[in-house]
Amino acid sequence: MLHVEIRKRLDTEGRGTFTLDLNFDAPADGVTILFGPSGSGKTTTLRAIAGIITPDAGRITLGEQIFFDSARHVNLPIQKRRVGFVFQDYALFPHFTAEQNVAFGLQDSGGKTRSARAREWLAQLRIEEAAGRYPRELSGGEQQRVAVARALASGPSVMLLDEPLAAVDAATRSKLLSEITALQQQARIPFLYVTHNHAEALRIGQHLILMHEGRVVQTGAPEEVFHRPANAQAAHIVGTENIFPGRIVAHREAEGITLIDLGDGGCRVAATYNELPPGAPVTVGVRAEDIIIARERVTQTSAHNVLSATIKRQFREAGRVELIAGSGGVDFKVSVTAGTVETLNLAEGTSVYLLIKARAFYLL
Amino acid sequence: MIWPALRVSLLVVSVATVIVGALGLALAFLLARREFRGKELLDALLTLPLVLPPTVTGYYLIVLLGRRGIFGSYLYELTGWTVAFTWQAAVIASTVVALPLMFKSARAAIESVEPRYEIAAYTLGKSEWETFWRVTLPLAWRGVLAGLVLSFARALGEFGATLMLAGNIPGETQTMPLAIYEAVVAGEDERAFALALILTLISVAAVYLTNLLSRRAPAARF
Repeated sequence: MLHVEIRKRLDTEGRGTFTLDLNFDAPADGVTILFGPSGSGKTTTLRAIAGIITPDAGRITLGEQIFFDSARHVNLPIQKRRVGFVFQDYALFPHFTAEQNVAFGLQDSGGKTRSARAREWLAQLRIEEAAGRYPRELSGGEQQRVAVARALASGPSVMLLDEPLAAVDAATRSKLLSEITALQQQARIPFLYVTHNHAEALRIGQHLILMHEGRVVQTGAPEEVFHRPANAQAAHIVGTENIFPGRIVAHREAEGITLIDLGDGGCRVAATYNELPPGAPVTVGVRAEDIIIARERVTQTSAHNVLSATIKRQFREAGRVELIAGSGGVDFKVSVTAGTVETLNLAEGTSVYLLIKARAFYLL
Repeated sequence: MIWPALRVSLLVVSVATVIVGALGLALAFLLARREFRGKELLDALLTLPLVLPPTVTGYYLIVLLGRRGIFGSYLYELTGWTVAFTWQAAVIASTVVALPLMFKSARAAIESVEPRYEIAAYTLGKSEWETFWRVTLPLAWRGVLAGLVLSFARALGEFGATLMLAGNIPGETQTMPLAIYEAVVAGEDERAFALALILTLISVAAVYLTNLLSRRAPAARF
């Protein structure tokens, strides 16, 4: 188990100081999600665990091993911590091929050569054929696989993944998530995975640490944290995410969109173009804050989706109202202000239109 | 009197280039990747020979290393030997004058390598030493090579500081630029022309080879 208990004051450019003040555990069974909006200190936390930055005070331990302990003046150098770090932009060595990148972190052993073992790792991540290519000749998804292979091949005692899927297309995302889950089960070491995406967190996380402005707001299983936020602050940070099962219907590449059926197929929406084959099942997420309500059908709009819907229920909490709007058998959670409900005269049974940008849909 | 000058020049320049390469690379790494007090002052001090007239640099070298110089006097007391008017003096003069071209160029090249590559290497268990040779230098090598070639050319053409500290002893400290000067003063136009031609050819060859190398090497493709 990875135990993190640190304080660190940081000077942020133009935004005053920011204090990281954290205490959490990441067990070896399963993937632990570090979840929070950008600027909440997720990446900084990973960098402190890896030893790239030094906390002002606290303790970082992995089982019996002490990475950092300010009271005992222990501060292991990066090299001795054996962390597998998958950087947001991969940081693959541009002058090495995929195979050389992986072999670089391998220790010499009596058995097979390093290049043979590097190829085995590439094979395990299903990019054997990319072995001789340089990073600039690889797609985002391939680079990601090489980065994961390189980190795991070095024999880490903990894996740190910093938004690894941020630059990967929808078709690759889902596959990579399954592979990361499988690799964690095989390696049986703590995986700390940074994301601000609900669907990703729900899909691979067993544990979730909710972060805000350098602090831990709530911890628990992802479903629990998302559906039962402990307080108003936690509720605000997690926002409300609609997550639906869906199926790819067709592509309109020229327009840059892909049509998807949600739920049982009664609700068809347009998302940004991806390369998944028609018929492929997907998980579709859209934040309640990203849906706009209109009383009349809007025609001249940049939103690709104008869905006819009926308000089924509404919940009020602290100035915000959460509406449940049904459209074609699919219930959308929509978050609006109390003022909007008054102005638009919204009530249960009211017919409305939901405006959703294609970009607001996140696919897995 | 062409071959002795060529021999002296080649000896002085090759030794000076090796020293400039090693020292310049170490300095460039320190200045690019380490924080310490007086860092920019050290940079400015080592850059001085680039902007000072070479005779002034030579004068300071005499003050420091001459038989009665600040350090030179100790050396003379201890060993009875002085560096002035030896081929080693010519090496020192060339080194001091050429060093700024090397470390300035190499520092800029190392600074342009994104630190994330080095951090990635550290997380893979690599020492700073191994990371430097296998990650930083291969990514910075064009700038480093450019600096080395410029230093080589500068050392080859060095005149003023060499004359001050090493003198103009044929077969001993008389390098090609000094020999050219002497030939012109003595009215030996043919010898001056031959020496100038050889010097020009060596310089052109160095620059041409560098361009060829930096285009051919696989690491240059990214």
